[in-house]
Amino acid sequence: MRIARRLVVLSVAALASVSVHAQGKISVSIWGGSWRDFVAEHVGKRFTQETGAQVEFVTGGTIDRLNKAKLSKGNPETDLIFTTSHVGWLYASDDLYEKLDLAKIPNAKNVFPEAMISPFHLGAWSYVYTIAYRPDLVPAGFKFASWGDLWNPKLKGTIGLPDFDPSHIIYAAALLSGGKSAKEWTAGQKKLLELKPNIKAFYNSDATSQEKIGSGETPVQVLLSSNAYHMMSQGVKIELVVPKEGAIVGIDTVGLNKGTKNAELAYKFINILFDPAVQTTLANKVRVSPMSTQAKVDPAVAKLPGMFTTASQWKEQAIVIDHKQRAELLGDWRKWFTENLIAK
Amino acid sequence: MTGQAGRRPAYFPWFVAPAAIAAVVLAAAMAALLQYAFRQHVPGSLQVGGFTLDNFGRMSSWVYLRVFADSLLLSACTAGFSLVLGYPLALALVRTRSAALKSAILIATIIPLFTGDIVRTYSWLIVLGKNGFVNGSLKWLGLIETPFELLYTMTGVTLALVQYSLPVMVIILSAAISHINPDYEKAAASLGAGPLAVLWKVTLPLSMPGILSGTVTIFAWTLSAFATPQLVGGGKVNMVSNLVYQLGFSNFDFPFAATLSLVSLALIFAILSLLGLATRRLEQAGFR
Repeated sequence: MRIARRLVVLSVAALASVSVHAQGKISVSIWGGSWRDFVAEHVGKRFTQETGAQVEFVTGGTIDRLNKAKLSKGNPETDLIFTTSHVGWLYASDDLYEKLDLAKIPNAKNVFPEAMISPFHLGAWSYVYTIAYRPDLVPAGFKFASWGDLWNPKLKGTIGLPDFDPSHIIYAAALLSGGKSAKEWTAGQKKLLELKPNIKAFYNSDATSQEKIGSGETPVQVLLSSNAYHMMSQGVKIELVVPKEGAIVGIDTVGLNKGTKNAELAYKFINILFDPAVQTTLANKVRVSPMSTQAKVDPAVAKLPGMFTTASQWKEQAIVIDHKQRAELLGDWRKWFTENLIAK
Repeated sequence: MTGQAGRRPAYFPWFVAPAAIAAVVLAAAMAALLQYAFRQHVPGSLQVGGFTLDNFGRMSSWVYLRVFADSLLLSACTAGFSLVLGYPLALALVRTRSAALKSAILIATIIPLFTGDIVRTYSWLIVLGKNGFVNGSLKWLGLIETPFELLYTMTGVTLALVQYSLPVMVIILSAAISHINPDYEKAAASLGAGPLAVLWKVTLPLSMPGILSGTVTIFAWTLSAFATPQLVGGGKVNMVSNLVYQLGFSNFDFPFAATLSLVSLALIFAILSLLGLATRRLEQAGFR
């Protein structure tokens, strides 16, 4: 009798494990910290509820994950990749992405045109890199209206810039110097050199950026908008400004690993990501701009600087650097920036 | 007797195997580094181009030479200050008869080794900041009105690197000083030499191998420092490893990053070779 009972228990356990296996699992490559937590909470859980499949997150920095994808080319470790729009072009140019079948992502019908980055990757949400400052630590009454205000001599030794991606300040300097596109970036070189006295330090990650503006070491920064909102929520007094020329947009994207064996599940995951309800939560909680035109963003959040929820905002306030051009030029930009502003 | 002593135990290969595997992996990594150093960078791609010597030509740019010069200067300053601060500590640690003092020195110098370098470096950001401990104290005492710029300067980076290196310097010097027979110092004192003369003419010369070894060790490991100059330097003070990181991981210029790594590695090997040479000279001169 006891043996028979054990056999029944074992059979049920075996069947249960077969069932879980049949439901499957997908693996998602993404940044760690709040980005992973957010996607796990609002996309991953719903995906598991709807499909029964589990989600495994593989976290790491943008370039670390790119290198890993390159090393595992042909036999990818993950099924889906979240990365920035221009780094996505590096995946594409190295044949690390599957071409997307938009018919399998019905929610992609309702995205802003800016989300259609390439046939391989779609913009999932956006933010801006723009001027942020501590009003208590800049000269009294100082206001920013234009990117050109960063050059004001009153800001000597106050500015912090990202060293990992100088495209924002390079593009802004080019615009102020008459350049019309990323290709004309050299127009702004002289102006950039004139910014040197105002630069206090360079930051190499979101964490060091927040530490430097939080401590007041660099009371003015070219800063990622959602980081600024996070700092504000922690009680740090920060003003975020969209200059009259516009703010430089960053778009985080999603794409399929070339050779994924779980493409159908991965498409379902992407479709949930673009669900208007998920996009709404994304905007309201993380203060990033939704890519779905159907997202119902809280009006108080929608009017924050750097939040784009309408086509006219995208047109009037956003500076979108051509993503492919940015990927191709980033090397030259970094080289020039390193040699002339960082190491010099 | 010789045959018995020379026979290796049966478990010997099991002991050697992990080292052999580590050596093979290291050699493979070095081979990859060497290969990348001679390849072309293809902008906008992770793929590298054909073979070239251009990366070594770029090294002659004064921008990169200056980073090497800064790295050498920071390493020399760190080694020098660590020696000056570490020697009295090591001497006191070895020579004191007070167990309490010995423990106190040991705890004060060695405990920082057990905290990660990121934690230690972040604490320096708090100490050296505009509103940090140093400037805050000086302002509170009424000694300054405008805070000193300590972060993102050579001074700040050197301070943090010295604190990071001090435990290792103390350990190396203590080992060297503990090998000096105290009878030599007693003999010098009994012949009329004062404490300073004993230190200058007996203890210091006899601890020269430790001084040399400690200085070169700190110099070489500071040359490859990354986290401390990255955080305390704030991009305004750069060492070679920071440049390698920027070029490789932001610029995707892996070939030039590999070239810088290779040259840096060659520099460290050259310094260690000089150490070996100097140590042999000292041994020949009778210092052991």
